[in-house]
Amino acid sequence: MIKIENLHKTFGKNEVLKGISTEIGQGEVVAVIGPSGSGKSTFLRCINMLEEPTEGTILFKDQEVTTQASKIQQVRKKIGMVFQHFHLFPHMTVLDNLTYAPVTVNKTAKREAEAAARELLKRVGLADKEGEYPGRLSGGQKQRVAIARALAMNPEVMLFDEPTSALDPEMVKEVLDVMKSLAQSGMTMAIVTHEMGFAKEVADRVLFLDGGILVEDAVPAEFFAKPKSERAQAFLEKVL
Amino acid sequence: MLKKTHVLLTLALLLIFSLAGNVLPGQHQAAAKEKHNKTLVMGTSADYAPYEYIDTVKGNKIIGFDVDVARHIADKLGYNLVIKDMDFNGLVPALDAKRVDFVMAGMTPNAERKQKVDFSDTYYKAKQLIVTNDPKIKKIEDLKGKAIGVQLGSIQEKEAKKIADKVDNVSIEKRNKVPDLVQEIMSKRFNAAVIEDGVAIEYLNKNPDLSSFVIPGSASAGSAVALQKGSGLTEKFNKEIAAMKKNGELDQYAKKWFEPKTEKKAEKKSIVDFSTIMPSIPYILKGILTTLKFVVVSILLGFVLGTILALFKISKVNVLRWGADAYTSIFRGTPLILQLLIIYNATPQLTGYKIEPFLAGVLTFGLNSAAYVSEIIRAGINGVDKGQREASMALGVSYGSMMRQIILPQALKNILPALMNEFITLTKESAIIAVIGTTDIMRRAQIVGADTYRYFEPLITAGIIYYLMVMALTVLGRMLERRMSRGD
Ligand SMILES: Nc1ncnc2c1ncn2[C@@H]1O[C@H](COP(=O)(O)OP(=O)(O)O)[C@@H](O)[C@H]1O
Ligand SMILES: [Mg+2]
Repeated sequence: MIKIENLHKTFGKNEVLKGISTEIGQGEVVAVIGPSGSGKSTFLRCINMLEEPTEGTILFKDQEVTTQASKIQQVRKKIGMVFQHFHLFPHMTVLDNLTYAPVTVNKTAKREAEAAARELLKRVGLADKEGEYPGRLSGGQKQRVAIARALAMNPEVMLFDEPTSALDPEMVKEVLDVMKSLAQSGMTMAIVTHEMGFAKEVADRVLFLDGGILVEDAVPAEFFAKPKSERAQAFLEKVL
Repeated sequence: MLKKTHVLLTLALLLIFSLAGNVLPGQHQAAAKEKHNKTLVMGTSADYAPYEYIDTVKGNKIIGFDVDVARHIADKLGYNLVIKDMDFNGLVPALDAKRVDFVMAGMTPNAERKQKVDFSDTYYKAKQLIVTNDPKIKKIEDLKGKAIGVQLGSIQEKEAKKIADKVDNVSIEKRNKVPDLVQEIMSKRFNAAVIEDGVAIEYLNKNPDLSSFVIPGSASAGSAVALQKGSGLTEKFNKEIAAMKKNGELDQYAKKWFEPKTEKKAEKKSIVDFSTIMPSIPYILKGILTTLKFVVVSILLGFVLGTILALFKISKVNVLRWGADAYTSIFRGTPLILQLLIIYNATPQLTGYKIEPFLAGVLTFGLNSAAYVSEIIRAGINGVDKGQREASMALGVSYGSMMRQIILPQALKNILPALMNEFITLTKESAIIAVIGTTDIMRRAQIVGADTYRYFEPLITAGIIYYLMVMALTVLGRMLERRMSRGD
């Protein structure tokens, strides 16, 4: 589904990604882990061109993701993204947050979009919150709305950038549960996370990044039992 | 709470509008009076009381001695009268160009004018008055041993010399302006002054201490009606003027306009007296509509333009960014009144287009406000969380939709107090357009001041109106803020 070849990204003089190549298959759930500052977010953001790669190519369904505004919008419609800090639209109700993009971008009829949105809210357990403004929701509720908002566009891939890092501990589970059920439904997902238990349980593959290099690419059972590299071993020792 | 402020605001606006709206049935009067099917257009310059001037008590109507006489003649001849107000210097050219049928403006026939237009017989000869605050001076002989003031180089100076020839020990004092003469009488430096009746009447009506009498045998060149060269009307006008002189109607009108109103003498003048300007307050209130219209159009223009400029300022295109920054720098770096005068006076000079004062004002204020608004909006846009932009982009939302529906609404909420401030400033500063003659609140207060010789009262009235308007804006802003913050 997504093919990344020799991805480089430089901010000024700081080379953050140093030639990453990998693939994410249809229905695959990939956990991206690594120390802070290793380039995980940048890697994820390059996939939907929130960051423009300095070098290398990214293919989405065999089509090159380009910088051309019109084409990149077509690709972004199909790639949902969930941020650490939610980024819900604060001036819109929960329902409007979900219907805004389908109505504006896909020209879906408002009624149709609302019906779909209500269905999604039910799925993330927030059917009773459709009239609320985001400011009145808890962190966990916000993140579930954000997931629903991304899903409202019927994406083929979902990108998550540390979706539970900004949450109070008691709210982490409700969000992870939603993601787990999403994974079980067959969604292709790339998840940057520090939740090792979740990665171990849900992911099909683990990508370990360090210093802008893809150090390991393994199945979770192998990776967590016995990482090949010393860097991964050191990292796991710290977090586990 | 919201409901209460809403009601208050509505009440305040209603009050302002009803006061302003009630003011002027004057406009409709012309229509009601259409009793003839032919029309005569009279040109005049309505700044010469009591011959012709704008009655601030009754609104925009031009009234005066000339208007009464013109109406009388037109009626007798079977015409409706339409009055066109213009600059005095434009009257003869207007007649020459047949844009008006005749001119009455206290105009004296002279050789230069006679080359372009015809004149009727004289319908009024101004009389020279002795004006004094000494009740013992009742006739020329009483001026023995007194000091009389006159305007330097005027025909009044000649009258005074004639008096000095007849009466012993009269000294003649000269001043440049008539108000100075009156002032000198009040401070008892002069015992009396020689002043033309039409000019003197204002002072006599306003100063109960002053009295006057006509100098026997005195007269000036006299006013006549100016008509188009070779006009058939001249003969008819002369006939009517002769008839009015004969049956005393002309004297009646003269008496109405040129003789002091004796009943006013009883009034005692206090330092602050709103009763004098009371009848003129509706005239000032009518300026609210002008000011409101001006402010609303300027704000809209400034806001739209300011938003576009703000988008230029955050754009990645260098030319747009530099252009918008230069624009802001120029409009913020020069005085508003200078911008106004450049647009108003230089536009005709450079393009030949005679720009209307209102349009010039709206353009200046809109362009100027845009500079400030663009800075406010730019700051507002930058103040919106970067994540909002990323979330929109990730959803495939286009730049335009993102700006309109995601970024700007949030920016506006944050900058509403600053915007409101700008709008309030604009409302107050709008008083500057009085300079180019737009009859806004400020201009009208000044006109009433010049009319009543009282300045404190009309200016205070204007001040109160501006204050109320600003308060209304403030309340409106608070309501908006509360509405917009419902999401938090
Ligand atoms: N927009 C940016 N401009 C400059 N440097 C950046 C930017 N975004 C990220 N970086 C730098 O790139 C490096 C990797 O960042 P990031 O991808 O966020 O790491 P991670 O998500 O793994 O913690 C960091 O050193 C960070 O400071
Ligand atoms: Mg990160």
